[in-house]
Amino acid sequence: MNLLDVRNLSIKLLTGEKAILAVDRVSLTMKEGEVRGLVGESGSGKSLLAQAIMGVLDDKWQVDADRFHWRGNDLMRLSPEERKSVIAKDVAMIFQEPMACLDPTTTIGEQLAEAVYSEEFTGFFWQKHQQRQLAAINLLHKVGIKNHQKCLKSYPHQLTDALCQRVMIAMALARKPLLLIADEPTAAMESTNQGQIFRLLASLNQLKNMSILLISHDLENVTHWTNTITVMYSGQFVEAGTTEQIFNCPYHPYTRALVDSSPKANMHIPVKSRLMTLPGSIPILQHLPIGCRLGPRCPKAQRACVKAPKVKNYHGHQVSCHYSLKDNY
Amino acid sequence: MTSLLEVSNLSKSYHVGGFPFKRRVINALEPISFEVPAHKTLAIVGETGSGKSTLAKLLVGAEKPTTGKVKLNGQTLNHGNFKQRCQHIRMIFQDSGTTLNPSLTISQLLDEPLLLNTDLDENQRALLIRETLQKVGLLADHMNFYPHMLSGGQKQRVSLARAIILKPQVIILDEALAALDPSLRSQMINLLLDLQQQMGLAFVLISHNLGIIRHFTDYMMVMSKGQVVEMGNTLDILKKPQHKYTKKLIMSQHFQLLNR
Ligand SMILES: Nc1ncnc2c1ncn2[C@@H]1O[C@H](COP(=O)(O)OP(=O)(O)OP(=O)(O)O)[C@@H](O)[C@H]1O
Ligand code: SF4
Ligand SMILES: [Mg+2]
Repeated sequence: MNLLDVRNLSIKLLTGEKAILAVDRVSLTMKEGEVRGLVGESGSGKSLLAQAIMGVLDDKWQVDADRFHWRGNDLMRLSPEERKSVIAKDVAMIFQEPMACLDPTTTIGEQLAEAVYSEEFTGFFWQKHQQRQLAAINLLHKVGIKNHQKCLKSYPHQLTDALCQRVMIAMALARKPLLLIADEPTAAMESTNQGQIFRLLASLNQLKNMSILLISHDLENVTHWTNTITVMYSGQFVEAGTTEQIFNCPYHPYTRALVDSSPKANMHIPVKSRLMTLPGSIPILQHLPIGCRLGPRCPKAQRACVKAPKVKNYHGHQVSCHYSLKDNY
Repeated sequence: MTSLLEVSNLSKSYHVGGFPFKRRVINALEPISFEVPAHKTLAIVGETGSGKSTLAKLLVGAEKPTTGKVKLNGQTLNHGNFKQRCQHIRMIFQDSGTTLNPSLTISQLLDEPLLLNTDLDENQRALLIRETLQKVGLLADHMNFYPHMLSGGQKQRVSLARAIILKPQVIILDEALAALDPSLRSQMINLLLDLQQQMGLAFVLISHNLGIIRHFTDYMMVMSKGQVVEMGNTLDILKKPQHKYTKKLIMSQHFQLLNR
């Protein structure tokens, strides 16, 4: 069964005279126990989409969707507040800058204890303090922090980025989420620490069957950890499929360019030769091209591309392009 | 033949602690020696705090070395002679896009180093600015833009233009490619490779991304705790790493390659 099923979700920025369509009909499904990558360059609307799912965008933004199902329940029929509380119960989110999300004036121990659900405790109120402490220690062990005494007493700035991110994950786990949305969880780290965090997420996925939506701007960085990948460009849906489909035979010119431009995927090309790349850069919100937003940069663009393409589905491999590369393989 | 950049016995230590009896010496960089010829690129990898940035600062002359010297074309660069050094060794930082002064136009930004380091008149400077913008793939129209009107990638190009406008011989890239989006990163790599071919530049690239290191560099130096633990041809080291940090780094990235 699909855990999350979102169809044609759009996000409008309500400014001045004309609303801007920041995210244009993007679909996303998550199965139980799945790790999905959400990939796109900076400014493609990944964080907006995640925030829209969590229901935490403010009044400036207007969110519409054709379908928004969570565990088979139609959330479109609920009010925004009800929807938010249903989601908050089962979905947790962690962010790019762990240090900035923690309260710098309080110890890790206190912040963790606060994150623990008190309803779960049985016993008298004087026992609750101790139960909270135990629960906090337990959470730290789950994210692989063994020296819990020292960690609990520390303030956020005394920990490294990777440790802070582990603490953030521990807090997210306190609610036993079914889905964890990780928005560039390793962006600020060096690669050996990145590996640690990815391995931790992978083990949580395996042991607890927790689904993970892994957001990243770098395709090559996440391919090892994901089952499926969704690619976005400038607020539009590009392509979705299994990691193998996306990496080995991308149907969309944009995905093709992403794969080709990665030096890691290009081990066969000669050292110091030119890398394949698209010209130009992602448009800003105020100057979005009409139709397919990749148009001005796309090597295959033709007249039809001034109309936004419809999503085509080839056995679960979805692509949104008038001239897909499907027949090239 | 002498190498373009020659570093011998370079080291840096800091004194910490106020009282004499408490004073300790921290060796941020143990003495190291290496050479980089023209047209070649040296990669430096290492954990945070392993001395990479200290080395970069010593090379550009932002810090005074404790021992050793840096030679360019066989000539020793003296600490303090900024004019000589600024012209020949330039540096680009990770977030160089955001370090551009927002109140100056692009042409004013590029004019600055010329005013400080050369005796060119106004027309000559304008011509050089135009030429340099063209080299990094920007238009003459961009001269009157302010930084906020440019995209991230274009800002990176401006900082590259600033770095090459004095016709340096060595450029140091401190994680300058790490935060870029993949398509911009490839554009930047192509551009740097072109410039290296045209102008015979030597690059020193500080980076963690082994994919980029493999593609972009000729030699590689691995540092740990202020010491060089491994040095040699990039491909040799990537194929047969000796030190455990190198192995760990390769495991954490290569690993992903072999499985796909
Ligand atoms: N508060 C805001 N006001 C106006 N525009 C915004 C705001 N937040 C985001 N945007 C715009 O919405 C678009 C999508 O932003 P979003 O943060 O979702 O991108 P992203 O894909 O997460 O990028 P990154 O990889 O940089 O995190 C961008 O063009 C951005 O400029
Ligand atoms: S629809 Fe047209 S412009 Fe868009 S990706 Fe396909 S070919 Fe390129
Ligand atoms: Mg984001």
